Amino acid sequence: MKIFAITKKELQTYFFSPVAYIVFAAFLLVVGYLFWVVLVSSKLATLEPLLYNAAFVLLLVSPVLTMRLISEERRAGTMELLLTSPISPSEIVIGKFLACFILYLLLILLTFQYPLILSVYSQNLDVGPIMSGYVGLVLLGAAFISLGLFASSLCENQMIAAMLSFGGMLCFWIFGWAKYALDNAFGEMLGKLSLFERYSEFLKGVVDSGNVVFFVVFIVLWLFMATRVVESDRWR
Amino acid sequence: MKDVTKFYGNFRALDGISFSVQAGEVLGLLGPNGAGKTTAMRILTCFLPASSGTVTVGGFDVFEDSMEVRRRLGYLPETPPVYPEMTVRSYLNFVAELREVASKDFRRRVDAVIERAGLVDHQMRVIGTLSKGYRQRVGLAQALVHDPAVLILDEPTVGLDPNQIIEIRNLIKDLAKDHTVILSTHILSEVSMTCKRVVIINEGRIVAEDSVENLERQGGAATTFKVALRPASLDWKTCFTGIEGVRLEGEQTDGPIVRFTMALPASAAYDQVFRATVQKGHVFTEITPARASLEEVFLRLTKSEENGSANGSGATEGGKAA
Repeated sequence: MKIFAITKKELQTYFFSPVAYIVFAAFLLVVGYLFWVVLVSSKLATLEPLLYNAAFVLLLVSPVLTMRLISEERRAGTMELLLTSPISPSEIVIGKFLACFILYLLLILLTFQYPLILSVYSQNLDVGPIMSGYVGLVLLGAAFISLGLFASSLCENQMIAAMLSFGGMLCFWIFGWAKYALDNAFGEMLGKLSLFERYSEFLKGVVDSGNVVFFVVFIVLWLFMATRVVESDRWR
Repeated sequence: MKDVTKFYGNFRALDGISFSVQAGEVLGLLGPNGAGKTTAMRILTCFLPASSGTVTVGGFDVFEDSMEVRRRLGYLPETPPVYPEMTVRSYLNFVAELREVASKDFRRRVDAVIERAGLVDHQMRVIGTLSKGYRQRVGLAQALVHDPAVLILDEPTVGLDPNQIIEIRNLIKDLAKDHTVILSTHILSEVSMTCKRVVIINEGRIVAEDSVENLERQGGAATTFKVALRPASLDWKTCFTGIEGVRLEGEQTDGPIVRFTMALPASAAYDQVFRATVQKGHVFTEITPARASLEEVFLRLTKSEENGSANGSGATEGGKAA
């Protein structure tokens, strides 16, 4: 399968270069520190603050994972190889998305140590919100990756791609605040677009099908847009 | 390729280009930088769509049956499309997967191109650490891995040192035995060494299309020599002027030695001229071919930009008639 050829290559690239290791180390260091601080100060056996913090750290590191995915192909001229091979732009985009998503799942897998630590020291750990929180975290990560992939498809420069995706994510993060500023339907609508608002519902233990659908549509939309941009390379 | 025109915005990069290549042929696309060679190749490889005109490869239209065309093409862009962080072998494995090499042939094909491109000792090296010449070989290996019917090479020898150029040229000559090859270049000697037929492009138009020999013969193209001669007598000039079409220019006396440039028509029998001169007791101290005759044709065709179209169509027709 050509999609998996792309996925495999991207994963190789992540692990051949220091990117994956540095992102993993930074993420785990910060999240681990926050886990300790919150746990010791609040003395509550809950994962909600940790998952909240993890999402915020993710906001900061995910552009680093996605920035070079397409922009680098363009800069290095390897886009010419991909676009003259019998592979469609959607296969390229999906392959790259999968690679970054697998890497992300690995990172999430490593954070399982925190609920494990909690379960050792706490008699009645509430597993429900932890599970739903992880579902939310996985969906949120996928949403960030697809948005970052789209940003990367727009430019040749990795830094610009990273800045674009960071700005985009932050917007979708803080849209919810409009709810408090505007007491009308428009504010309500912006609130609905907020990834943070929807993510925090997962943390409370609610897996609402509307929220799941929102995330899935969000992911598919940006992947679709990225595909169109890659396609448009030949029209420029 | 039929009546292909390509606009970049308002800029007309290609203007009604038509040419065809037979299976097993080696065609050279020749032209100064910016003539439209790369654009033509990108259209052939389905990387760019033509603004108008049709292009077919092996009976498949590059626009309608793009995937079928891509399966039949191997393409080496101007800069080899390599990933610097991958090893040669893992990169070729990736391209083989991308190019739909069947799993049963996989290892055999990758091994074969590694050997053919002379990369056996470098297959485990990271591409980023390789020299330009070896990257070019990796680029060639990449274009060959799915054993394509048609190979398209964009300036395959640019930026290489003389030894590497010779190696790559030999490799291309070798490849030409069982592939159809289209290569672009702005280096003339490359064309006469590797190609049977040449299409000369200038400013997006075809100014000539013919075999290398015919182009050289066309318009009595001459070969120019820089000559230094130690004459035995004052009438040395008669040795040359007696022959039809010979022109002597820029005569300079430097002590006992006379230096001049001599243009010999393609029809002249070189050896007779030289032998006759030597028999009279004159001594050649230096004979340097100043310009290969193909270069003269090229210069003549590409320089005259004002009357380029008139000259061009004439040349093309002349070529086809011959």
